[in-house]
Amino acid sequence: MASTTSRKTAESWAFRPNLAVLALVTPVVLFFVVALVFPLSGLFRASFFEGNRPYGGSGFTLDHYLRFLTDAYYGSVLLETVILAFASAVFSLLVGFPVAYSIARAEPRKRKLRMFLVVLPLTLSLVVVVFGWLVLLGGQGIVNTLLIRIGLIDEPLRFLFNQQVVVFVLVQQFLPFMILSIMSVISQIDPALEQAAANLRANRFTVFRRVIIPMAMPGILVGVTLVFILSMSAFIAPRLIGGSRVQMIGNLIFEQVIVILNWPFGAAMSFIVLTITMLLTLSINYFVAARFAKRSPGNAQ
Amino acid sequence: MRSDLSDIVMAVSGKIVRFVVYAALFAPVFIVIATSFTASATLRFPPEGFSLRWYEAALGSPQFMGALWVSVRLALAATVISLILGFAATFAADRFEFPGRAALRALLLSPLVVPMVVLGLGLLQFLAWVGLAQTFWGLLLGHILITLPYVARTLAAGTVLFDRRLEEAAMNLRAAPLTVLRRITLPLLAPSIVAAGVFAFVTSFGNITLSVFLSFGGEMTLPVQIYSYVESNYTPIIASVSTLVIVITVILLVSIEKLVGMERLR
Repeated sequence: MASTTSRKTAESWAFRPNLAVLALVTPVVLFFVVALVFPLSGLFRASFFEGNRPYGGSGFTLDHYLRFLTDAYYGSVLLETVILAFASAVFSLLVGFPVAYSIARAEPRKRKLRMFLVVLPLTLSLVVVVFGWLVLLGGQGIVNTLLIRIGLIDEPLRFLFNQQVVVFVLVQQFLPFMILSIMSVISQIDPALEQAAANLRANRFTVFRRVIIPMAMPGILVGVTLVFILSMSAFIAPRLIGGSRVQMIGNLIFEQVIVILNWPFGAAMSFIVLTITMLLTLSINYFVAARFAKRSPGNAQ
Repeated sequence: MRSDLSDIVMAVSGKIVRFVVYAALFAPVFIVIATSFTASATLRFPPEGFSLRWYEAALGSPQFMGALWVSVRLALAATVISLILGFAATFAADRFEFPGRAALRALLLSPLVVPMVVLGLGLLQFLAWVGLAQTFWGLLLGHILITLPYVARTLAAGTVLFDRRLEEAAMNLRAAPLTVLRRITLPLLAPSIVAAGVFAFVTSFGNITLSVFLSFGGEMTLPVQIYSYVESNYTPIIASVSTLVIVITVILLVSIEKLVGMERLR
């Protein structure tokens, strides 16, 4: 009976499977060709244009890439960006994991409120969030006012315009991506596994190290990858919070494109960033996957 | 459960981390809302006095209200198109076997792995080339691109939980495929579709990193307008406009929570 039913269904849905798939998939593929493939290949071509005009370039030159590679300034900004993005991914993981775990294991009512607190900043415009921090940490902000009023300091401290505060704001901004990615994986791990480990006299730390973290690894990787990529191309937060003291590669590209209007150089920088980001993301994933595969037989024993 | 010192250390540090995280996530929102009611002409926290003057200023500003209107229209259009494209693709990937199915799933998520500045400059150049730079259509193209991955993820999670026997039952009662789609499949997937739609809307509504490339000098979205205003001015009108954004976002999030539950967001 069951098999007849499912065959019948398959037949009716798949009355013309090829046509149906074609009709469903063609629009989205066309869309990606227009909105992603054309722009990225156009950008790649433009990175070899001669001269520095915004559009209508022609010719073929490696000048823009050479300029980036020979000027130590660009290299140092790129390195700083990678370090800041990496720091932001690591800190997001460290503080995001306990939060994700607690939400996944919370009772439904608490879970709703906490989910709300996590999702809300994700949906807020970055400008609104950055602006909140400016008011809070600025020279006349609440933290300085409080510290002066209690008499701890006489002069307002400079919280803004350094690397630490940029990483802090990046973490705050991208943390929800980390929490949601890890949470969705942990909520699929059966709590009975933790109880079984605990019955075998494993303490919480061992349960985390041997059961939860290995099983949550796919979610951890997704979260780390997302936060790293988002931080690599951040430029609004560094510009408003870090000022001219903290340069990230996104700021340089934005300046070339919008202020200086040297699009070919901006395009070359974009491709360097894209390549570095992809390589680092792939190697992080590969490295973790390799370690993980080596260790898992040990865990199974 | 056995407990020792390390358990206590973990429990306490977990509590501290969670408190700090929730406080840090919520602090900027709270500050912005509180500052927007200030009576003074400068942006300071704690606010001085209480007034609604900055709301009057915000609502009376053609600059900000125009940008708000652009943002709402853009987010609505991007959401609808993104839902149609995303639903068709995830439905196909879920129901049919065809070569390139895994590639299609990867394609739907691909905008997430390209740094936003790269997308921004690529689209800007492409739009300049086809003569659509600094128009609503250019913004729309970009916003569909960045909302599609979220729509695809949320819808894919919904289709996995879907009980296909309900469709089979309807077919056994000789319902035509389109009737089944309209009467069974879509209503059952409605919660996921609503969640995906709201998530797409707020993603588009709040986006600045892409919009700033596509709308400079042309049609400006509200976040871009706020950003360019912050660079030169520093008055509480920013706080009141931002609070309006927060209120719109919160209403939408509360409505997903009431309608379908927040767990569906991915």
